Amino acid sequence: MATIEERIKQVTARVLKLNPEEIRPEHNFAADLGAESVQSIELVAMFEQEFGIEMEEDAALAVETVGGAIDFIRDVCRQQGVETEG
Amino acid sequence: MRLIFIDRNESSRANFYPLSYSRPIWDLRCGIRSLAEKIIARLGVSDIACFVPDTMAEAYRQKTSWPVNDLSSLCGDELFIVDGRVKAEGLPKTAQSGSEVTTDSEGNVLYARVDPSQAATLAQDDIDAFLSSAGRTLSRSERSVATWNYTWDLILANAEEIRRDFASLGRQGIEGVVEEPNALRGSRNDIYIAPGALVHPMVVIDAEHGPVYIEQGVQIHPFSRIEGPCYIGAKSIVLGAKCREGNSIGPMCRIGGEVEESILQGYSNKYHDGFLGHAYVGEWVNLGALTTNSDLKNDYTTVSVMLDGKHAIDTGSTKVGSLIGDHTKTSIGTFLNTGACIGAMAVLMATGKPLPKFIPSFGWYVEGVVTKGFGRTSLYKTAEAAMSRRGCQWTGADRAMWDAVFELTAPARNEAVRRGRIAMSK
Repeated sequence: MATIEERIKQVTARVLKLNPEEIRPEHNFAADLGAESVQSIELVAMFEQEFGIEMEEDAALAVETVGGAIDFIRDVCRQQGVETEG
Repeated sequence: MRLIFIDRNESSRANFYPLSYSRPIWDLRCGIRSLAEKIIARLGVSDIACFVPDTMAEAYRQKTSWPVNDLSSLCGDELFIVDGRVKAEGLPKTAQSGSEVTTDSEGNVLYARVDPSQAATLAQDDIDAFLSSAGRTLSRSERSVATWNYTWDLILANAEEIRRDFASLGRQGIEGVVEEPNALRGSRNDIYIAPGALVHPMVVIDAEHGPVYIEQGVQIHPFSRIEGPCYIGAKSIVLGAKCREGNSIGPMCRIGGEVEESILQGYSNKYHDGFLGHAYVGEWVNLGALTTNSDLKNDYTTVSVMLDGKHAIDTGSTKVGSLIGDHTKTSIGTFLNTGACIGAMAVLMATGKPLPKFIPSFGWYVEGVVTKGFGRTSLYKTAEAAMSRRGCQWTGADRAMWDAVFELTAPARNEAVRRGRIAMSK
């Protein structure tokens, strides 16, 4: 199974139409990857679908970077009993 | 005699979703007056109390001078208890006396007249027990009363109710300012323009086929056409609109484009071009430019509406537009399907196609699917901003009521969001 980081990069690349290999943890979704407000909604929905989790909108949308998303989603997966690797 | 309005039955309230999420059914408009105002006028009473769903009580106390959910209002006087769905004209006159009750087919009290001694014998634990006790023990009235059963009943009856209310209110003539040149068609007896209303030049008010009632502080801007029957509530502004027959526009609205046979509860904006027909729009709604609803199917068959997102209800009418809950916003160019049920606190972004017939409350329709969007907090901030622009305050009681609506509507929304995620991931 791919790591959380790999899965987040794949989802981000799909929604924002980017090459996953060019996405780094320090990238800011809006400033570096060009995510517009509507796409941030899509990203949250797609992360929920990818990991089978429910995220609280305010907290999820406050995450600004790819690395922040990795930490946040890892925490949510742990809280909701979702098994992940990496 | 004390009039007691009741609106406690969730199954009947559900037939008026999404408008009834945030108000009792008796506050809905039909014609010039609300359902409550019609009943009060019919009975001629001034001592009034009411019972609403518990989740709404605190917020409703902010809006009314009546006692709300106060059990002491059931004591000490003859009671005339009326469900908010009851049509006023079927109610008995107050001069009659004695206790009696009429219930619907499920045993819910539609109206009851209870003398003080009889009231003391009924269960006093809570209002629901009291009503249940009244329904079981009071003598049956031989009178059957008609009820409003769905929101579209109000839409479809609106034109006739404007005529009826206009005649009942007995006001006519021009007390406001009508600037020349203008065209007033039909009998002047069928036009009432209240003091403080301003009709700009180049406006047509056509009362040939029904009365036109314009409240205080209304502004009608040039190139508007107001066709009766029509009611325009206090301080609303009509901006060059084509107001076709049968509209009731509540207070503080902004109206542009084409509007036909529709009811706007109040404080809502349909500022720009776009068609709204056979619709009921709640409060604090903003319809973006070119938002348009269909109110007639291409095959001329009757329109169905899904109030819960699952079960289609045949309205029996070929003309039904949209039902739109409070605080909902549409983007520019939004197309609403025939008989669309758009929940409260929803955000709709256009797709270039007609939207689904059901959008859940608090749902954000983005890129063709329902999402959680920016969430409830964002919607509340927007509601607070919108209300403050009209001098109204968003309070903790409002928030608590909407939190309850959020929970009530969660199943339909969660299902729509789940489907949205699946669709988005393909």
